[in-house]
Amino acid sequence: MEGSSSSRSDEDFAVGCMLSIKTTLGDEFDGQVVTFDRPSNILVLQEGLKLGPRRNIRFLKTNYIKEFSFLGQSEDPLDIKKCYIDLQSLQAREELALRQAEADAERIGVGVTTQAQGIFDALFKTLPVRWDKTSIVVMNEVRVSSPYLPENVIGGTPAANDRVKKVLELERRRLQTRGPGP
Amino acid sequence: MNTQQTAQLKSSANGFARRRSERESGMRLENKHQSGKLNQNRSMNAKSPSRDRLVYLSTCLIGHPVEVRLKNGSIYSGTCHTTNVEQEFAIILKMARMTKDASYRGSKQEYVMKAPSKTLIIPGKEVAEVIAKDVPVTVAGQSNELQNERHEDILIDSSISHSRHVELDRELSPWVPDEDDPQCPGLENIFDGPWNRGWDQFETNKMLFGVKSTFDEELYTTRLEKGPRMRELEREATRIAREIEGEDTEDLHLAEERGINLGEDFDGDEEVRFSSVIRGRGLDDSGYDEDEDILLDKRNTETFGDVPASSGAKTDHLHRGTSNDSAGALLTSSVDEPQCSQSSNGSEFFQSNTYDHCRQQADDLPCKSSTSDCNGRNPEILRVAQGHDSINASIETKTVAVDGKLSKSNESQSAENSQTAGFDRGGLLADAPSVTSSVKEMPPTEPEVVYVKADGESSGVSACRQPGTFASGSDHAGATSASSHPAVSPSSSLIGSSSSENSTLNPHAKEFKFNPNAKSFTPSHSSPVRPPSPVSDGSYYFTPNVTTLPQMHGMPVGIGMGPSYSGHQHVLFNPQVAPLRSPQPYFHPSGPQYGQQMNLGHPRQVLYMPGYQPVSSSQHL
Repeated sequence: MEGSSSSRSDEDFAVGCMLSIKTTLGDEFDGQVVTFDRPSNILVLQEGLKLGPRRNIRFLKTNYIKEFSFLGQSEDPLDIKKCYIDLQSLQAREELALRQAEADAERIGVGVTTQAQGIFDALFKTLPVRWDKTSIVVMNEVRVSSPYLPENVIGGTPAANDRVKKVLELERRRLQTRGPGP
Repeated sequence: MNTQQTAQLKSSANGFARRRSERESGMRLENKHQSGKLNQNRSMNAKSPSRDRLVYLSTCLIGHPVEVRLKNGSIYSGTCHTTNVEQEFAIILKMARMTKDASYRGSKQEYVMKAPSKTLIIPGKEVAEVIAKDVPVTVAGQSNELQNERHEDILIDSSISHSRHVELDRELSPWVPDEDDPQCPGLENIFDGPWNRGWDQFETNKMLFGVKSTFDEELYTTRLEKGPRMRELEREATRIAREIEGEDTEDLHLAEERGINLGEDFDGDEEVRFSSVIRGRGLDDSGYDEDEDILLDKRNTETFGDVPASSGAKTDHLHRGTSNDSAGALLTSSVDEPQCSQSSNGSEFFQSNTYDHCRQQADDLPCKSSTSDCNGRNPEILRVAQGHDSINASIETKTVAVDGKLSKSNESQSAENSQTAGFDRGGLLADAPSVTSSVKEMPPTEPEVVYVKADGESSGVSACRQPGTFASGSDHAGATSASSHPAVSPSSSLIGSSSSENSTLNPHAKEFKFNPNAKSFTPSHSSPVRPPSPVSDGSYYFTPNVTTLPQMHGMPVGIGMGPSYSGHQHVLFNPQVAPLRSPQPYFHPSGPQYGQQMNLGHPRQVLYMPGYQPVSSSQHL
């Protein structure tokens, strides 16, 4: 079985094959086979036609392939000679990404709806805002609590309050014109 | 073994060996975070290339944002920390967020955000798919990525303005002024001459604050003698100016200024057209060398027009200057000349030269243009000149007239001196009359006269260093008494002082005697400012013999002789310069004031203190 399966695997998932795949999760995409690992049943596909150094990669377990169709045969998308790994740079990249992610995490409210998050993001562009549980605190003075309507703007000096109200209205309007939902 | 693997990773040239070590390194990482033992033997023995690829690609994901789809439909996003593709695709994410909750049935809008998990371990059994975008799979991708990220760290302006979070609510377009928007409104009024403006700042000040002003415009400029030849000179000046401005030029900025149309499809954005930074020319500030001379020559040609080659590049400059002078006084080709505008033609010549070059070469070789002739000294001077903004239009006007006259007299003089070193002719033209007079006074022969001119030039140039305080009058005075002072600007001021009625010369000063044992000054290329007193270095003596003159070709014609100038120029400071004064109608009587003011500029180079020069010089005897 292994012998035949290995040969079958080579046949089925030869490197460079273009496949159109539907997954059990509802995904549909086209990709080019970069490699297939029998022991783990992991199929690595490259999406898109770009042949640059950066590719969109998918690691798919073949168990979750609902169906696939063969589109064609192409060359090996991976040039072995150019494949090197610099662990240091990878780790540096990771650190950088983590720092960025932590900064981003500050902006994300916990337990708030996506709409609220959208409002927060909009305010974040022009005003110093932070989350306090589910309330948005602007300039450490003005609080905007759920459901983040102009009426919910509380606190701060009248001037600051008005300003926040105004910005909130504008942002809400803008969010609506752009279309409900991201 | 781990470090060994790392080293192996880096140094191994064998792709296959590398992948193997990568796999092992991958294992190493996983070991850090997973308690389970990995069966390394098995992986080491498995030589399947497909497995190698898998491991390679999954290792490429480290540090990259990935999306993990679980078999239950949930999706997590985070930064890939490590993977284990031994059996299933196990992955550990850092700062992971659930972007899609399979169990949540509510509407998207109400989806509740959750805090990101610092570390999220996803067992391989749960993983259905891992998606990563823009993964660098080759070396090229990796290096670029880091660079880009570093740039993002720095947050350059363009990345801020072209925000990634661009929500294009509106189409951005560059601003264009309204139809009826007056071009630079009000500016015309500002630049009206003071006689038109109807506002006298001094009067106002006096009225408001009772401040009595001691401002005398003529302190800062040459008094224009409205002689009978005024009209002639003006005409001549305008003619020359027109000539120069109408010249064709390769330089973008010059062309812009002169209004030469660059053509419809000129390839260059605003920066190329208007910036003073010259990019991509490979210019190097490290020191003076032949290349710079060549470049400077090229610049000179650009500014002054080609001249038939003569012996030596340096003399070329001078000859060029000469030919320009013969064309007529070279009055500022660009009106906004630095305040170094000196009445002397030569100096003017080089002033504009300098300035043009300064402008053209901006940061690169601001001083080198004129420095080609005078190594080492000019950068300092020129930079100063360049840095100063004060431009006295009146000076220029007066200068023009003066120069016109001078050039004319110079021409005859030049003809005489045609045989002498080009240098002499170069900047000294303007000083012709003074030279002539000095010639009469001094026993020196013709070459000497020329020499004096040079000094005058240098003094003119050094005046540059004292922007705003230099008057062309003093320049001429300087020319005359070029021989009288060791330092350039001091010399000019000194001359001025000597020539003026209220001389502040120290009557008790010891006469300067040339010290034959004085150390010859050789400018060091690295820095124009030399810690030892410039006085000692620049001991100048008035040399009667011609031989020294050729050596002076290093001196820029227009660039004032600073103390750092080549040592073989020695000017004998002769305090008894009274006879030199008289025939100079254009010498500014307020010369002596310059002495003090000049000191403020660059005390380093110009150690001129009225009356002290001779004393200090004599100390070297």
